[in-house]
Amino acid sequence: MVLTHSTNHTYSHPFPTVTLAYFLRYSSPQLNPFAAHVLSTDTISSHVDPETQRLYTTRIHLKKSRMPSAVYKLLPASVSGGGSGEKASYILETSVVDIKEGWMKTESRNLNFTGVLSVVEKQHFKVPSSSEAVARNETDVNSSVSFKSRLGEKLRGKLGQAQESSGTGWLPGLLGGLGAKGIQRSIESLASTKTIDQLSKSRDGMRLVLERLRNGGVIGVMEKLRQERQRQAMTM
Amino acid sequence: MSASLAPECNEVKERYDTCFLKWYSEKYLRGAEKDNKECAGLFNEYQKCLSVALKDRGIDKLLDEAREDNKENDVRLTAPRK
Repeated sequence: MVLTHSTNHTYSHPFPTVTLAYFLRYSSPQLNPFAAHVLSTDTISSHVDPETQRLYTTRIHLKKSRMPSAVYKLLPASVSGGGSGEKASYILETSVVDIKEGWMKTESRNLNFTGVLSVVEKQHFKVPSSSEAVARNETDVNSSVSFKSRLGEKLRGKLGQAQESSGTGWLPGLLGGLGAKGIQRSIESLASTKTIDQLSKSRDGMRLVLERLRNGGVIGVMEKLRQERQRQAMTM
Repeated sequence: MSASLAPECNEVKERYDTCFLKWYSEKYLRGAEKDNKECAGLFNEYQKCLSVALKDRGIDKLLDEAREDNKENDVRLTAPRK
């Protein structure tokens, strides 16, 4: 089963600024205090298609795990990594910007723990279709998040997944008692409740970055980031 | 800027990020020069550093798996709009 949650939202900022805020949203906890759980951000590819002039970007974020503790409690330590162990997830983010047509599509998915739970978040930002909304400098966004647990299903040998053949013998017992589908559904619904709470925080974060861009422009924001780096370097 | 997952790449990552944001906001978004050649040198330097860390941590393998799983999504994202 896949649980999907979809919402629409309108930012009161023009489309180019919203796309810039998307790239900047994890750049520093000073700029966006809602991103304190983001430990690192790296770009692994970035190119402009010479024909369509669309910008394709791929980034990897390391985030403190969003997996709710209730999910961890359902899982044996051999799967969850145990206690307060490795609770960071690698997130793969792909985005495409078409500035001429006025849209940006993004997708984020977890790279590890996929055998327990796959979370895929998609966002579609676009210049609104009504000319009044365009005149008001608004940007529409549709966000959808889907949750799929494949716990107990046979997958190719993946890192961080449930290994049925590991000989610990917990999985058949666990799944036999509660039912594989039941467990999967519990994980999906626990994760979705938690994530939906976090979606509004992620919008608050975008709004904060947007406000800072409106007040200081990108140069102002970059200057702030530079000063912050210097401060950090001095205290080290 | 936020850190790189590999601390040894932080410095070149920051220089690349700054270059990218400048190019993106001043050129790409304004419909000028669409090619970000000006950041290409920094990007290559950054990737040289980062690729070692991606391998060490097994992230390159996770990426390959995600790309396999994700081929249909690439098609969807890159499909021409109707």
